[in-house]
Amino acid sequence: MVPDLKKYILHPISEKAISIVFGNQISEAIRQQISRLNRLILANPFLGLLNAIPAYTTLTLFFEPSILLKDTSLKGSTCSEKITFYLAQLENLNQNEAENKSRIIKIPICYEEVFGLDLAELSSIHQLSKEEIIQLHTEAAYPVYMIGFVPGFPYLGGLNPVLNSPRKASPRKVIPAGSVGIAGMQTGIYPLATPGGWQIIGRTPLKLFDAYRQQPSLLKAGDVVKFEPISFTDFQKIYQKEWA
Amino acid sequence: MGLKIIKPGLLSTIQDAGRTAYLDQAVAISGAMDQFSFSLANLLVGNDENEAVIEFTFGGIEILAQSDLLIAFVGAQEFITINEMSVPSHRPVFVPAQSTLKISHQNQGKFSYLAIAGGLDIPLVLESRSTFLTANFGGFKGRALQKGDELTTQESLSETSKNLLKKLKGTQVNFTNWSIPTHQFSAQTQFIRIIKGPELEWFDNLAIADFVSEPYQITDGNRMGVHLSGKLVQRKKSHLQELLSTAVVPGTIQVSGNGALILLMADCQTTGGYPRIGKVIEVDLPKCAQLKTGDQLQFEFISLKEAEKLYLERSKDLQKLKASVQFKSME
Repeated sequence: MVPDLKKYILHPISEKAISIVFGNQISEAIRQQISRLNRLILANPFLGLLNAIPAYTTLTLFFEPSILLKDTSLKGSTCSEKITFYLAQLENLNQNEAENKSRIIKIPICYEEVFGLDLAELSSIHQLSKEEIIQLHTEAAYPVYMIGFVPGFPYLGGLNPVLNSPRKASPRKVIPAGSVGIAGMQTGIYPLATPGGWQIIGRTPLKLFDAYRQQPSLLKAGDVVKFEPISFTDFQKIYQKEWA
Repeated sequence: MGLKIIKPGLLSTIQDAGRTAYLDQAVAISGAMDQFSFSLANLLVGNDENEAVIEFTFGGIEILAQSDLLIAFVGAQEFITINEMSVPSHRPVFVPAQSTLKISHQNQGKFSYLAIAGGLDIPLVLESRSTFLTANFGGFKGRALQKGDELTTQESLSETSKNLLKKLKGTQVNFTNWSIPTHQFSAQTQFIRIIKGPELEWFDNLAIADFVSEPYQITDGNRMGVHLSGKLVQRKKSHLQELLSTAVVPGTIQVSGNGALILLMADCQTTGGYPRIGKVIEVDLPKCAQLKTGDQLQFEFISLKEAEKLYLERSKDLQKLKASVQFKSME
């Protein structure tokens, strides 16, 4: 499918950044559209492009104006005009390279009580056994909408509506790194130990972010996450290797 | 070759121009809070304008030069002494080995920058030498400088640095008779130019009129952002929806649920969910960085086109300055 480039509006958010906005509703179709456009832009960057941040309904391009404005192949005298022209040109490109190829990332998760701090509470809220909650949580596939909040934090969609859970009445001062949480229809994984009010159902031994890795963030927007339940023993084995 | 931190002051970190290569992985831009003073400090010692420097917060700083150094100090109003002798800022200064440099805060400003010819020998992490405190990486061991930390300088010097050093080097502290103009500090309300934010129309017209006619006061802040107190900015009744998290940048002015303003700074998150009423233009962001608790500012809208023009002029001014330092070093 070709990204529909006519359905966006442009919002400059800085002299050095412009958002391509696709409506104001979270949807799988928009997520895929942003994902494809992101790939297309990164494969055919304009001069001065520094980075692109995908979010729920926006793709924000960061650039160096002094370089972009020197590119005479793009019509216009301002950065906005040149980017508008650039995006219009993208429509004429061969779109095959932007085919949707989501990476499936398997994330081991241990739901034992030491990690699933709020499983008991969720069990009573939803009138489901812990096993049923774990079943519902592991059978779904979770598309990554965006990375934000702290380095490597994925905003995941795809939660089974049965697990829609309120935030905790009082937030925890520290949620350990690797904790997997639910808040409303959102689910996410904490890369760093931070305060937070999400319901914690388990923990992954994987490092979600490591500045000294080739790709620091384990996940990127466009990936799809599958959780795989593991035992406490397996958690420890993986943890020791990962955090050595 | 290097220096030793004797007193680190409130918050001293290694910073450069910042990192943009990992924004999509939610790694903050970071970098010097006052990018203008930071660039000037580097240019004054003949460095590339993006070389890593030490950023200080207020005064209370003491540093021991462990070798001969060529330095420049630019930023907040500070009182600088080397071996108890007063030394002017905004110019290249030769510091002989074993000298003690002390920095104490005067009245205005908050952040200042110490550039050392050759730059600091700090490893690149994710393409930058800036310290990112939230995630504890970059800069000196991913943290603020502490008493006893020793920083080494890079050996290779630019031609400009070599020439400046040739002119100033001796057994005593020495500095040029020329300096460069920098921030004009005053206790008055600072006018800060902004461009409109994507959610500007979510706000009530009268509220927007107040937003640009009333002063706001800095209540508290850190490297991530500052809170402003003043008239709350109310939304139109028809625009009370939540904003889906989207990109924000240093300079973004967010309006929280109750109408209070938050101005995002260098270490801000890469995405946010509060409506963005405006964004401080790049060339005025250094002025905002220098405002301390209790200082006042007043916003003023300009067009994006004008902001872009001012940004390009600033880059050209820095290039001119680079050339003039080069020229003066050869005179």
